[in-house]
Amino acid sequence: MSTSPTARPRPSLGFDRFSGLYLWALIVIVFGIWVPDLFLTTGTLHSVAAQQAIAAIVALAVLVPLATGAYDLSVGATVNLAAIIVTVLQSDKGWSMWPAIAVTVATCFVIGAVNGFVVVVLRVNSFIATLGAASIITALQSIVSGQTQPLPPTSRAWSDLTQREVFGFQIVVLYMLVVAVLLWWVLSQTPVGRYIYAVGGNAEAARLAGVRTGTWTWISLTTSAMLCGVAGVLYASLSGPSLTFGGALLLPAFAAVFLGSTQLHPGRFNVWGTLIALYVLATGIKGLQLVTGVQWLADLFNGVAVITAVAFAVWRQRKARPRRDAAASQRSKGTGSAEMDVGGVTPASGQQPAAVR
Amino acid sequence: MTPREVVERANGAGPLPPSLLVRGLSKSFGPTRALADVDLRVDAGTVHALLGENGSGKSTLIKTLSGYHHPDPGGSVEVGGQPLQVGVASSAYNLGCRFVHQDLGLVDTCSVADNVALTAGFPTRCGAVHRKTLRRRTDEALQRLGLALDPDALVGGLAAAERTGVAVARALADADVTGVRLLVLDEPTATLPDTEVKQLLAVVRAVAASGVGVLYVTHHLDEVFEVAEDVSVLRDGRKVVTTKAGALTRRELVEHLVGGELQEVSAASDSLSAVHGAPVLHVQGLSAGPLVTANFTVRPGEVVGVAGLTGSGRETLLPAIFGAVPRSSGRVQVGDESLAPGRPDRAIAAGLTLLPADRVRLGGVMSMSARENLTLPALRALWRAPRLRRRLEVAQTRTWFERLDVRPPGAVDAPLGSFSGGNQQKVLFGKWLRCAPRVLLLDEPTQGVDIGAKAEIHRQILSAVEAGAAAVVSSSDYDELVALCHRVLVLRDGRLVAELSNGALTVAEVAREALGSEDRAA
Repeated sequence: MSTSPTARPRPSLGFDRFSGLYLWALIVIVFGIWVPDLFLTTGTLHSVAAQQAIAAIVALAVLVPLATGAYDLSVGATVNLAAIIVTVLQSDKGWSMWPAIAVTVATCFVIGAVNGFVVVVLRVNSFIATLGAASIITALQSIVSGQTQPLPPTSRAWSDLTQREVFGFQIVVLYMLVVAVLLWWVLSQTPVGRYIYAVGGNAEAARLAGVRTGTWTWISLTTSAMLCGVAGVLYASLSGPSLTFGGALLLPAFAAVFLGSTQLHPGRFNVWGTLIALYVLATGIKGLQLVTGVQWLADLFNGVAVITAVAFAVWRQRKARPRRDAAASQRSKGTGSAEMDVGGVTPASGQQPAAVR
Repeated sequence: MTPREVVERANGAGPLPPSLLVRGLSKSFGPTRALADVDLRVDAGTVHALLGENGSGKSTLIKTLSGYHHPDPGGSVEVGGQPLQVGVASSAYNLGCRFVHQDLGLVDTCSVADNVALTAGFPTRCGAVHRKTLRRRTDEALQRLGLALDPDALVGGLAAAERTGVAVARALADADVTGVRLLVLDEPTATLPDTEVKQLLAVVRAVAASGVGVLYVTHHLDEVFEVAEDVSVLRDGRKVVTTKAGALTRRELVEHLVGGELQEVSAASDSLSAVHGAPVLHVQGLSAGPLVTANFTVRPGEVVGVAGLTGSGRETLLPAIFGAVPRSSGRVQVGDESLAPGRPDRAIAAGLTLLPADRVRLGGVMSMSARENLTLPALRALWRAPRLRRRLEVAQTRTWFERLDVRPPGAVDAPLGSFSGGNQQKVLFGKWLRCAPRVLLLDEPTQGVDIGAKAEIHRQILSAVEAGAAAVVSSSDYDELVALCHRVLVLRDGRLVAELSNGALTVAEVAREALGSEDRAA
């Protein structure tokens, strides 16, 4: 091992940490010149903000477990289930809004707790565990809905929940910002955040530093499911119930989180980076759709984004710590079951909690 | 008839050139000479044991032979009579040198045959692996070593000695055996249970009997007498003796190993103040992995050393006390508080801290900053609702950086992984000192750190102990233990066999106890 002091304080190049914001500005300028009367309107601003608010909450739901090194692939299915439950309870059972919402979020809490149990206690790789859970939740959704799309509730309060306007924006945007601020506070301002990132960075080292790795993984998966519950409720209120909406959210959410980990605090999954990434992608897609009118752009964009983001993170990691890291991972082989190391940004879903070996 | 004669007779053409002939080999790292003028000769068809304490230059020698290190100019190495291009990795391979390292490099989830074929190449027919041929070839390779293994068995399911056997078979299988001149085995028995050592030694003999010279690096003296014809001892980078294994007694061998330090009494432990007070750490009947019923206590103000060879249970002792690895039985008590097994968080709350030996994998979170690592176990002190006091945290980290002389000094927010090994270790050491622990468990605290960092860490250990903490230092560096500790516990074969203090605490005595220098009646 090298003994020369090699630590260098990171040069504060705004271009490194804020590239997303520059890109955002570039996109706005390009489309602003290209199709000014379509793109540069408050209507576009409001619709992009509101349309992406729910995707943003789902992205944050993905972010929390990912920060502990656990994948939650069941977010899409959970959003769907929540949207159906909250609708069925109101339309078919005649419940009023708030009890329906409470039961929906409680159901999602249970889903998250079960995910946590499978990952932490049964030690199933989170990737597999939540993939399986997604399938089970989809089945539950079919049972609850009877495989027909329920009618949307008709109460005024229900549509006002998300569609009331605040400064021209639909209020759902505000909800999303509240969730984001809360998560930012927990992850970056409290000891909880430190524990969560420590578990994601090196679960065994965190455990030896006294961090309850299993507990935090469990809590993060439960938080994720409850955020999905909230997202499902808001979606049902905003756009009406859908049997399939959630599934389409999964990849954009991961794309935003991974892309976000290259922003603001590179190498760390972070709240504002994720939101920036999400809205940069959405703005670009919106602009191209206005110009070309084709629908497949979103899929293309998100796919390219997730791969690019992870490839970039891997490259940055390798550049930052060349040989020593290779030697370290040589030595640490044997720790990992199926380890999905995404460029050192974290996910080591194999080495979950308290791996006593 | 000795194996050597067998080989000579079989070849019918006089004596073979030696498998390995090293002349005047030196290797310096900066001003330190790791190898000085080493001569070594391994004859074809013989086993030549190479002994040496940690830091004696064994690893450097092997790495030089394998082409990893460039030696200093002047020396020469011949393999089977052909000059080796020192410093060129492929040269050693092409001349028929094969290395089996302690970390065998086998793929546990693949079969024996697949592992052997990974380097030898898969026999194919129309592009598909021809399983029958593969099985037959593997079978032959194993038979030559006297190993009765199923080629289709998974390597992960084999006993440790069998796995080493597979690694040897693989090393020999990629050329027909006559092409391999020299097999270097680097501490093959270090982690093997006693019962399996015999099996491995039989494999080693079989290799030698096929005409290959074997350079056998070990810590275990029994094996030297059992398997080797010749033995050489390295000390401080110099070869101190080469002789027939039968010409030495066990005691003489140990004296060669530890050198003329017989009367050396440690200076540092005398300067330690006298220890008094009730014990703060009680370990009763602790068993875990290779470790069998360890009993000892440590008092405040005391530095206790733990010595032992690889596989003696030394690596397990501190993690088992702390709860990093599960224990199978026994009690650990800090003060009056009994510790739950497998719960590092409770151990820390009780005032116990562990600096793990594997810094990168267990010591710290390399992707987090030095500051975040330093404060991780005790964040509560920085929490003033509604947030962590970042400025206070930075100030505290800077103070620790100064106190431990971490370099570069201002880089509190750089990722821990970007620091050099010694400075990483200082940060991790500071992380535990900051918790004001009652007992410091230090596993190889200065392994892989430079001399300056080592001295600094030693100073910090002593000052923490002076302030009333207790320290347990596990180390493979006997000099370190003797210099630092009031008394040293020695582990051998999983048991505590000796406790050395005062006049009896010398490097030579620790080494003797760790090796087991009394001639055993076996």
